[in-house]
Amino acid sequence: MSGQDRKSKEYGAGEAVKAFTENKRVRSGESASETASAGGGNAAAYAGDTWRIGGLELTSRFFLGTGLFPNPFVQTEAIRVSGAEVLTFAIRRVDLEAAEDDSILQHIEPGAFQFLPNTSGARTAEEAVRIARLARASGLSDWIKVEISADERTLLPDPIETLRATEILVEEGFTVLPYISDDPVICRRLEAAGAAAIMPGGAPIGTGLGILNPYHIGLIAEEAKVPVIVDAGLGTASDAALAMELGAAAVLMNTPVARAQDPVHMALAMKLAIEAGRLAYLSGRTPKKRYASASSGLESLIVE
Amino acid sequence: MTELTVNGSKRDLEASTIEDVVRLLGLEGRPVVAEVNGEVLTSGEWADTAVEPGMKIELVHFVGGG
Repeated sequence: MSGQDRKSKEYGAGEAVKAFTENKRVRSGESASETASAGGGNAAAYAGDTWRIGGLELTSRFFLGTGLFPNPFVQTEAIRVSGAEVLTFAIRRVDLEAAEDDSILQHIEPGAFQFLPNTSGARTAEEAVRIARLARASGLSDWIKVEISADERTLLPDPIETLRATEILVEEGFTVLPYISDDPVICRRLEAAGAAAIMPGGAPIGTGLGILNPYHIGLIAEEAKVPVIVDAGLGTASDAALAMELGAAAVLMNTPVARAQDPVHMALAMKLAIEAGRLAYLSGRTPKKRYASASSGLESLIVE
Repeated sequence: MTELTVNGSKRDLEASTIEDVVRLLGLEGRPVVAEVNGEVLTSGEWADTAVEPGMKIELVHFVGGG
């Protein structure tokens, strides 16, 4: 498949590039609500370059996690600046000894975001299904990020359990977004099982090592007919840009924003990197060459 | 008093339904999800679900995560 075919396949690249070049970007605070389909209030919107998961049309290509922020104020500001329309959460027991409400939701504007709860802590498909049902019973979302870790040292996803959980949850009517290794074959199997998006990791969760196997991420993005969201392991803005240049539909990050020295500005850096990487992908990069090739040619030189 | 296991700890509560349990634990009005003996309940089912001795109840909520 040629590069142009690949781009045109699912995104309608021509239209999207046109929209970019017409500079229809919505700046912070300028009628962002008119173009942001799922709230967020500050989504960077390039008209025409929207995408879908299930029935939801999205403008932002940045999914933001809500863990590890230094305090709720920094988190709220980072969410605002990121333009994210989808936020991830975990499900845990309520602390019955705590007098205060420690729910994350008290800090999130109601109705402004699509919630993507995860099944972190699950080690088997059955545990993930149980957590997913609890998440859905909240009445807040029927999306679920299947996250089943094989061990605590690497937190690498167990592909067999992830596939089983995906099959069960699709059957139960969830919108299933599995977090999975960057293996193109298991990604194909998850898509065939009915996953609404595929979320391969760039590197183990929280490592910040970046995209360890760009070839695999690129191949997964090229083959998938559902959106590919690079999830986990990214460290800085160039990692996010690379994910998008490789053809990812979106990026999911938490640690690199929340644990940056300045999370709010890092959220902005990531947003801009995602937009830059997306635009580079749509624009079609120059091929790599082994040797030099002069920009002005070597004819009509003034030196004989 | 009914002896229940709530979030892994034994508790004696003067409760006849799950709604009572949630209220007695000070969680009324908070975005909490209940699971009773492995079955997930919607909040609409709390008032109709009778508490029995030895029930295993999980009360969970959304926390920060990636």
